[in-house]
Amino acid sequence: MSESPAVTGDSQVHITRVFDAPREEVFRAWTDPDEVAAWYGPEHFDTPREQITIDLRVGGRYELTMVRRDNGVEFPIGYEIVELVEPELIVLRSDPVPEIGVHEPTFTRVELQDLGGRTRMVLTDGPYPDSGPAAAGWSSAFDKLAARLGG
Amino acid sequence: MPTDQLSLTFAALADPTRRSILTRLADGEATVNELAEPFEMSLPAISRHLKVLERAGLIVRSRDAQWRPSRMDPEPLDEAVEWMQSRKRTWEARMDRLDAHLRRRGERHE
Repeated sequence: MSESPAVTGDSQVHITRVFDAPREEVFRAWTDPDEVAAWYGPEHFDTPREQITIDLRVGGRYELTMVRRDNGVEFPIGYEIVELVEPELIVLRSDPVPEIGVHEPTFTRVELQDLGGRTRMVLTDGPYPDSGPAAAGWSSAFDKLAARLGG
Repeated sequence: MPTDQLSLTFAALADPTRRSILTRLADGEATVNELAEPFEMSLPAISRHLKVLERAGLIVRSRDAQWRPSRMDPEPLDEAVEWMQSRKRTWEARMDRLDAHLRRRGERHE
């Protein structure tokens, strides 16, 4: 489990994990549709293999569809690959999803560090929902306020 | 929380002057004059910032008092924090599944 606080102060999610698997395997888990199908979808959802497209190159599409198991409702998710350094780094730019309050593209950045048989993954996802340059500077005040509010 | 409310909250917080004002108001209510003090900014400029904060529901300004003191309303901020936490939980759960997937894979290879 990650020990970082849920709100890190800026409008991004930060997660660091160490996986007991070589870096190439973790990279493949992120970039091979057969692999992604096995873990991406939230609980109670499937991400069917046949609805995953990964065109593994800068500018390529990274698309999948989450399907609710109980009623079959589909939630398509689309990204463009904006950075790619195999097997170290992949940066995905999401298509905006206005229905959940994300009007601007967000970025999922996955950096993989080789720990010799194990892999440290540093993931950032965001910013939510304001991607303006000013948003980057809001951290300390927001932290302080969140702390006051017990956030 | 409605989409627009969340956008308003985050947009209001995206400005350093407004964050300072909000931090000050977390200590208690204050008038425009008091709020303007630390800034090299005209009162109308500060008032404009207060309007943005008010529209986002982050502050409440008293209507009747002569100096219209402002106070903070933490609710939208709570909701913004909660929203970020839900994103965080989504990713944490996803990484748990990735971890389990890599373990299963590792076992198959052994």
